[in-house]
Amino acid sequence: MKKLLAILMAVMMMMSISSVMAEDNVEITLWTYPIGNWVDPETVDGIIANFNAVYPNIKVTVNYLDYTSGDDQVTGAIEARTTPDIIMEGPERLVTNWGAAGKMLPVNDLWTEEALADISAGSEAVVAACKGADGNYYEYPLCMTTHTMVIDRAAFEAAGALQYVDVETRTWTTEGFVNACRALTDAGYMTGVVYCGGQGGDQGTRALVNNLYSGRFTNAEHTAYTADSEENIQGLTLLQDMVNEGILMADPSIVAGDEIALFCNGTITMGFCWNASAAVSNKASMADGIDPLPMAFPSDDGVPELCGGIWGFGIFDNGDAARAEAAKNFIRFVCDDAQQGPASVYATGFFPVRASFGDVYAGTDKEANGEFMVFMPFLGDYYNVTGGWAVQRTEWWNLLQRVFGGGNVTEEVATYVANANASIK
Amino acid sequence: MQLTRNMSKAMKATRRRENLSAYLFLTPALLFFAGFVIFPMGMCLVTSFFNYSMTDFSFIAFDNYVEMFSDPTFGKSLVNTIVIVVVSVPTVCLFSLWVASVIYKMNSFKTSFFRCVFYLPVVTGSVAVTVVWKWIFNNYYGLLNALCKTLGIITKNVNWLGDPAYALWCIIMILFTTSIGQPIVLYVSALGNVDHSLVEAAQVDGATNRQVFWKIKWPQIMPTTLYILIITTINSFQCFALIQLLTNGGPNYATSTIMYYIYYNAFKLNRYGYGSAMGVILAVIIALFSLAQFRLAKNDR
Repeated sequence: MKKLLAILMAVMMMMSISSVMAEDNVEITLWTYPIGNWVDPETVDGIIANFNAVYPNIKVTVNYLDYTSGDDQVTGAIEARTTPDIIMEGPERLVTNWGAAGKMLPVNDLWTEEALADISAGSEAVVAACKGADGNYYEYPLCMTTHTMVIDRAAFEAAGALQYVDVETRTWTTEGFVNACRALTDAGYMTGVVYCGGQGGDQGTRALVNNLYSGRFTNAEHTAYTADSEENIQGLTLLQDMVNEGILMADPSIVAGDEIALFCNGTITMGFCWNASAAVSNKASMADGIDPLPMAFPSDDGVPELCGGIWGFGIFDNGDAARAEAAKNFIRFVCDDAQQGPASVYATGFFPVRASFGDVYAGTDKEANGEFMVFMPFLGDYYNVTGGWAVQRTEWWNLLQRVFGGGNVTEEVATYVANANASIK
Repeated sequence: MQLTRNMSKAMKATRRRENLSAYLFLTPALLFFAGFVIFPMGMCLVTSFFNYSMTDFSFIAFDNYVEMFSDPTFGKSLVNTIVIVVVSVPTVCLFSLWVASVIYKMNSFKTSFFRCVFYLPVVTGSVAVTVVWKWIFNNYYGLLNALCKTLGIITKNVNWLGDPAYALWCIIMILFTTSIGQPIVLYVSALGNVDHSLVEAAQVDGATNRQVFWKIKWPQIMPTTLYILIITTINSFQCFALIQLLTNGGPNYATSTIMYYIYYNAFKLNRYGYGSAMGVILAVIIALFSLAQFRLAKNDR
């Protein structure tokens, strides 16, 4: 009898110990879009290992998304109530889409006074982009960049078109752009392709159209799309004329990824979708003799306004306080830790939102990324937080398809604006 | 009398046991069918009457259906879908029948070889197939442009997937290559099962090859033809992956189909209710087409 009692007590003690241990251990999931090396399991596992050295009781499981099917997976997870705890992406999804739909937890407590001051010192636009219309922050940012275009310096030089480019400031004028395209065509080169087969890399075509005559994509309040402005109509008309003249191409069968491939294999001599991360990831596939030179988009006054990219973390509201707290610990560690923070940014190939991190590439094998710092002063309005963003994106490439299919620019932009603005709630 | 009664009772009990066993065997499949087919169909019908999005779930009766029939993109997608079905179904069936009638007479090695060749695109993943076709149709360095230029058919590159005049036909062509595998295998099998004594009897009676085919073989392979017609029709109506991977419904909705438009509304715009309404209409159209095919095939027999 005594033996039986002792065994029972031992079993009960074991059960209580294991239940206490289970309470302390938290499992969270992280879904990440392909942001630089955050698509590479070795890199991400390394970051998680660093995190676990500080928080051994939090187990992080990772799922890698891509931009083709990632949104569909998240939408499916939201409807099936199987969303991850943490997701890494930009404010257009985390704040404007899922945050506004009430699917995300506010992360206001991550935005300490110190963090706010540090991030504001880098860019006020980042702070504004991470905040929802209800005043809550739904994203805690890690890195940012400017989206640029790229030209093949060797081809430009051979065609005598380099004279239209300011290699020092990486800027050029609309007139210079047209002249360069003519010079390249006359020399037998294919210039660039305005891709419009889908939404992939559409920031490039938006920036191209907007900059040609200094137009704006939305109003300053981000409450309406303004592609029908005089400047934007002028820009689209110029591109349509250039395509008709044969000095530029438009292609509804390709997206940005295809265009980058065409640039890398030497088919075309300029690409409209480029940034620091693309420069690194396409280095190996670059054909011999191509000398990629990142450039700002051409503008009438020579002062471009570039689209920005902001990436960071948000937390889905899964109704579990312990997991939410663990997720916040993970985000704090990855973004704010004095050692891990810069390393996390380094993995993205972009630039830190925290001014205090400085140049994370100095003295590293990605030192060349530093050349993209020249574009930071041209960072324009982060209009991606405008409502109806998903509808607008589809409307945009369909607008380009209609315009380059011979449509009347004024009528087509009116259709675009009507449809895009109707989707703003 | 008593004996008969007892025997009848025993038979009834046996039948009950047999029925019970049959239902038990059927239960897993029925549960699967109910859970993954019947229930989602019911949900689709129900949600089609709601304004169902990430933030809303409100009853709007037939508003989704009213909006659908005034939506020009839905109209365009419906027309494209019908073009795909009308072109694809007869060509797939006729070509499959022709190939099968040629290869089923060959020796078993050759027959198996050709069956494998034609079946290969069916078992190859859609993504792999589309990557190859994308390269073939590439505007800049595609195989088709190179071939057509070499043969003097074209003088400058054609943007096969980017030109509204060609894009839908390219999709139909790819769909054709991925659809013929199964019909060929089925027709080879059906033609092999045709009663040869009837064929010989007809030939003895002086029937020509054409008469033998239409009077003897065709009626015997009619059930297979009916099955092929229906599965090809359904597959053509549900053409989605090729379009999503190759054209995103473009250029200017020239290749948008109802399936693609359902996906776009449900997953890109989170308009689940509107997408469901289109799903209901698609199901009705497929049912009507299938019914018509059943009727035609019945009359033919």
